[in-house]
Amino acid sequence: MPEQNRQERRDRLTPRQRLEAYGKGLPVDRLPCVPIVGNTAARVLGVKVSSLRNEGRVLSDAHLASYRRFGYDNIRIFTDLYTLAESMGARTRVPEDETAFLDEPAIGSISEIGSLRPSRPKKDRILSEHLEALKRVVQEVGDEVPVTAALTCPFTNASFLIGAVNLSRLVLKNPEAVHSLCRVSLESALAYADAIFEAGGTPSLTDAMSSSTVISPRQFQEFSFPYLKALVDHIHAKGRPATLHICGKTGPIWHRMADTGADCLSIDNDADLLAAKHEIGDRVRLMGNVHPSAIMLQGSPGDVREAVMQCILAAGDSPKGLVVASGCSLPIETPFENIDAMIDAVRDFGYPDDRSARFAEANTTVPENG
Amino acid sequence: MSETSEPSLFAALSDAVLNMDEDAARENAIRVIRERIDAYRAIEHGLVDGMNRAGQLFEDEEYFIPEILLCSDAMYAGLDILDPHIDRSRQRLRRKVVIGVVEGDTHDIGKNLVKTLLDAAGFEVVDLGRDIPPARIVDTAINEQADVIALSTLMTTTMDGMSEVIELLKAAGRRDALKVIVGGGPVSQAFADRIGADGYAPTAPAAVKLLQRLFEESAHA
Repeated sequence: MPEQNRQERRDRLTPRQRLEAYGKGLPVDRLPCVPIVGNTAARVLGVKVSSLRNEGRVLSDAHLASYRRFGYDNIRIFTDLYTLAESMGARTRVPEDETAFLDEPAIGSISEIGSLRPSRPKKDRILSEHLEALKRVVQEVGDEVPVTAALTCPFTNASFLIGAVNLSRLVLKNPEAVHSLCRVSLESALAYADAIFEAGGTPSLTDAMSSSTVISPRQFQEFSFPYLKALVDHIHAKGRPATLHICGKTGPIWHRMADTGADCLSIDNDADLLAAKHEIGDRVRLMGNVHPSAIMLQGSPGDVREAVMQCILAAGDSPKGLVVASGCSLPIETPFENIDAMIDAVRDFGYPDDRSARFAEANTTVPENG
Repeated sequence: MSETSEPSLFAALSDAVLNMDEDAARENAIRVIRERIDAYRAIEHGLVDGMNRAGQLFEDEEYFIPEILLCSDAMYAGLDILDPHIDRSRQRLRRKVVIGVVEGDTHDIGKNLVKTLLDAAGFEVVDLGRDIPPARIVDTAINEQADVIALSTLMTTTMDGMSEVIELLKAAGRRDALKVIVGGGPVSQAFADRIGADGYAPTAPAAVKLLQRLFEESAHA
């Protein structure tokens, strides 16, 4: 199977070796690259999207197949944002071959907040399947590539508990209710984080509703920041790095996102990578931000290549580093050749300074298999 | 009901919306009725004006989704009182918009904002809700003799439903009879162009401006 091991033909380092050397400023073969593969993994394995969510074994097989097919630098176990809220009583709908979505929040009004209980991840059917998948992937390839599991952060999870419109109103009308929802969400998130550690992985923080497209920087500071900081602190206490993704516009809150202590910020395509480098590049590693739909789904491999170059030109020299990535999770039907094109472009580019040249020089004795 | 009280009453309605004050919106709407001021003008120059100003603050990133939701609550509080008093015989022909979130997506904050603003700007809005199959959107638009189909999605997974709507319209021979506009997080102008939509709007206020511009253009064409 010539396709399966393409990264071994061209990459000289495993993702772990690359990230470690990159973090120390040592010579590396190329920049780290993470096309954020979620349910696209179902297409690599040739199974229905819903079977990823429902069966840990299939979920792990799909991510292993996808990692081996494309050779990116981080595996992220993720099917949809709703798993944690579902374990607390929200209802989801799971179409056979599409991403699951929220059908009904856990509660209809603030009078029911007291009835919410923190999640018990290992007792929950869906979360335990995700944990099983994580464990299997870690066992299989954890020594060569970081394996993470997506963790929906408290403010976003709160929106799934009571509904996004309700939560948005409460932000102004009943801040204490919002905090109650965030607190119980944080308890669940911490419990899930611990289960993720136990399975050998690291939580990957995702907080869609905390976007400046939705709430103001002041509201972020009040309703998102304390809970994000608690999660980052928890991850650091385990000696692991924390990556934080917030969708949409985030420019107004970059510094606050960095203040959470996160080591890497994943920047959406709605945000400007060059501006991010100037503002916070000396505080956090940046990750981003090729447009998942306009470029990765609908563009040609040439468009992908062009977009990757734009990212590297903008932030390839960012002081704390750049992970070339899609701005958000890839759409399910993203063509494989576009994912290949992203990593190939990064391979061809090498490294913005002479580090890849020095790497090549130091490794000339390694036989070229490609 | 002196002429001089009109501007201040309209300003008070506009401020009530901008300040997210439902009570003030109701009180001033009741004053409009009592003083026999034209309800339609009060909506247009009061409530809609307030919503436009809120929309501007949203564009300027001073207001965010929570504020816009409460502004629209205040607008509806006033609208509920004023609407039955509109003299519909004098009203100019209203453009009809069928709006919905495409199948597979249950996010509807964005769609609701667009609906609210279109409604406020004088469009007649048929709201299909969320998670709507393309065929139902097209059937409704044809049956309702709508002028516009407005489609929203927040999920990349459901974007294909947007092009399906356009294909179904073509198949029904009605593509030229309607404008199709699209919006939502993952959508872009490039996507709108590719699927052959008439326009793309990145925000709710922009969707209103887009439709106003499209109809102005077609009026001058």
